[in-house]
Amino acid sequence: MTSPISTSAVFWTIWLFVHLILALGLLGALTHQAMAAAFPARRTAGGIVTRFRAVSAPGYATAVCVLYVLVFLVGSFIYTSYRINIRIPLEQGHYFKTGGFFDFKEHVATLGLVLLPAYWYFWKNAQNPEYDNARKGVTLVLAVMVWFLFIVGHVLNNARGFGA
Amino acid sequence: MSTTVTTGPATAPATGSALAASRKFKAFATTFSIVGPVAYCCCVYFNLPVFTYFPAIGRFAWGVEAVQSGTGPNMLWYGWTLTTILIAGGLGIVAMMLPERVTNKIPLFLVWLVPILSIPYVVYSLMFWWRLAMRE
Repeated sequence: MTSPISTSAVFWTIWLFVHLILALGLLGALTHQAMAAAFPARRTAGGIVTRFRAVSAPGYATAVCVLYVLVFLVGSFIYTSYRINIRIPLEQGHYFKTGGFFDFKEHVATLGLVLLPAYWYFWKNAQNPEYDNARKGVTLVLAVMVWFLFIVGHVLNNARGFGA
Repeated sequence: MSTTVTTGPATAPATGSALAASRKFKAFATTFSIVGPVAYCCCVYFNLPVFTYFPAIGRFAWGVEAVQSGTGPNMLWYGWTLTTILIAGGLGIVAMMLPERVTNKIPLFLVWLVPILSIPYVVYSLMFWWRLAMRE
């Protein structure tokens, strides 16, 4: 018979996996777009780096917003379990930097969330040169944030995952 | 370097969406994204969550509610985030009502600069963690 604890660990691990898969999609889309915004390719042919930059960046905007909100919502749901099952043992084990970086992650996640309306608007008007610098800036900031969120989440899961 | 010119379909008008073409939505979106990080830092500094959540007992409480015996830890982040969205959304709606000549003067670089400037405060707000880490 499966104990309630292990059932709970499986439940949260599945949600964590969903969070990871969505985050990977977000990371891929946003990295493509940030590269295309920062170093726009003048031709589609070329090496893998050129092709990586030569994507139709505006087409990613809605997908990035939807994925960000989904990752945010799933992460927010998992956070309830983290607060009890992960953070308390981290504190007891004196993993203060790890705990601190997770709190940093939650703040950055909200800061990224509030950028989405302007980010979406700038990309949906990609033909307007008035928004060039703002679009590039907000995309790069958002990409750096998402990479930070991903790395901190990954390291934290390595430090102590659900069911550990 | 311009990001308007990229290869392939990127040079075409991005969308036929009325929202994307709306100057009022531009005022809302830019105001929301500029005010959002400032509002969030204020919410954290002044501790202004709409609600507090107690995950151990699954209970919500309006505003800030301290940990009590038997409640387990409290979570303020959800409340801070909701407060931020309400403040930024409210000011965004106000910006939509302003004349275009006013909203056109909003510096767009603030959209990416303000969140960067928020980071030092966010790091500072976590000082208790860093202090504990340094004692180790």
